[in-house]
Amino acid sequence: MGFITLIVRNATNRPTRTALTAIGLAVAIAAVIILVGISWNFERSFEAIYRSKRIDLIAVHAGSTNQLSSSLDARLVDRVRQIDGVSDASPTLVDTVAFEDQNLASVLVNGWVPESLLFRGIRILDGRSLRPGDDHNVLLGRVLALNLDRKVGDRLDVAGEPFTVVGTFESESLFENGALILPLTTLQKMMGREGQATGLVITAKSPAPESLEPLRKRIEAALPGVAVTPARDYVLADTQIRLAKAMAWATASIAMVLGAVGMLNTMLMSIFERTREIGLLRAVGWRRRRVLALILGESLAIALAGSVLGGMLAAAGMRALTLSPTSQGFIDPRIPPEVLGLGLIMGIGLSMLGGLYPAARAAALDPTEALRHE
Amino acid sequence: MNENPAGPRGLESETVAAPEANRAATAILEGRGLVKHYDDGDVEALRGVSLAIGEGEFVAITGPSGCGKTTLLQLLGGLDRPTGGEVLFRGHPLAAIDLDAYHARQVGFVFQSFHLLPTLTSVENVQVPMFEGPWPRRGRAPRAVSLLAEVGLPHRNAHRPGQLSVGERQRVAIARALANDPTLLLADEPTGNLDSKSQDEILRLLADLRHRRGLTLVIVTHSPEVAAAADRRIAMKDGQIT
Repeated sequence: MGFITLIVRNATNRPTRTALTAIGLAVAIAAVIILVGISWNFERSFEAIYRSKRIDLIAVHAGSTNQLSSSLDARLVDRVRQIDGVSDASPTLVDTVAFEDQNLASVLVNGWVPESLLFRGIRILDGRSLRPGDDHNVLLGRVLALNLDRKVGDRLDVAGEPFTVVGTFESESLFENGALILPLTTLQKMMGREGQATGLVITAKSPAPESLEPLRKRIEAALPGVAVTPARDYVLADTQIRLAKAMAWATASIAMVLGAVGMLNTMLMSIFERTREIGLLRAVGWRRRRVLALILGESLAIALAGSVLGGMLAAAGMRALTLSPTSQGFIDPRIPPEVLGLGLIMGIGLSMLGGLYPAARAAALDPTEALRHE
Repeated sequence: MNENPAGPRGLESETVAAPEANRAATAILEGRGLVKHYDDGDVEALRGVSLAIGEGEFVAITGPSGCGKTTLLQLLGGLDRPTGGEVLFRGHPLAAIDLDAYHARQVGFVFQSFHLLPTLTSVENVQVPMFEGPWPRRGRAPRAVSLLAEVGLPHRNAHRPGQLSVGERQRVAIARALANDPTLLLADEPTGNLDSKSQDEILRLLADLRHRRGLTLVIVTHSPEVAAAADRRIAMKDGQIT
């Protein structure tokens, strides 16, 4: 009989209790993977927008915490283009609309200038892209087209106005795949924001960090009241992303602590019930460290079972979220390997922490007293 | 069968002169002025007990309940520490040696209530002490099978304690006590839970094992039959040898 056999035998001696502990741990691990995974994908999807379009800098109204709350004069783009070091720039107007018939509560709508740099990274799947002169024509992201069940040539009402779907597209970013693109001027009129943009996107002649910083300063100096941020920093500083990450970590941490407490409780009960057994092990010469290893091994066995189950629950949970009307199109069901690894390591680590005190207590038992235990 | 070297393994060597008579000069186990006080209940379980047990001797410790005989056995086996006095194994104080190694390699314990692990089969129970023994992993199970055969239980290898009679359980416990080829077999009321037939069988088995293996056997017992089978009887009363 090997040591691992003994560990597994002990861990499965109380199958119901072990299963419940593993399930509790699995839920905690799944919560970590899902929540952190969503915020991780959220951030990466946001980054992908700027990376695919080779956008180096973003200009918004100074003091705005995110692009949706920013408002700039779209004509500022002409001044930006004149600044030395700027390769290209374009205004963008972002808002959200609802498609209640399809249970889509909050769909991103982008107002872009046709043929501007914002169309980089957009691959037309069917139909065509927007052209200058388009008015009530719309491009639908791949996921949104599926969710709305619309194809090229179909009519689509956006915020009460009729549009014709002229193309569907795919982007590296899940946000864009779940969004629609209208001509900038059309969206400005619809939203009552004529001449306005939520921000300007800028491509530098040299994207090297050492040349971006002076360029950033030059643009800010030329446009008072405008804050210019490198795209990567902009993503990281975005309030919604930070909030999503903070919420994910806070909730995940609570779930993990509960999982660890569950393990602590299970192992404490286990060693209490097995006090005489542990006394016997000490009496036959088992060293304290072997008793410690036995109890920690049992914690690890339960943690591993919980981790496997947690990984499967997380995958199922992510899939389920993509079907929810409120998150449809926003959730990338793929679990980043880093997040999966993090969830498993956290789950196993905290379980071991939960098993440490019972294990130390078991190892410290006096054999005579333990053998007398009723 | 016994692989013990001349001195205790893992021992800080310190020569202690034997103070007692001839038996003490060749004693494998010696207690000197043993006192055990339990704070809980303010009990004086042992009041200056001195004894010497010779190598290969069969000693029965007898006396009424509460006289301190189990406490004495626990002190001799290193399961508990005396409040006063000392226990010597082959002349070396237990306080100075590695007690885990002493338990694992020198002492085999047999308890009245067997203390078998309920989730393990007979063969697995016998292997439990072998984790601290010199046996390779693959050699443990065949060794356990052989030990079970030696104690007269060759057909219950895959049975768990709950599937065995009390006599069979005690045989498994005895096989477990032999797992690492100990020098000493310390048994606390080994026949206390058995009917008279099983008691006779277990007593015969212990005596037989002692002869075959050259074991030193110390038994705490209430049973006159067991005491009569011993080479020497140590009677106790009120924490003292009478």
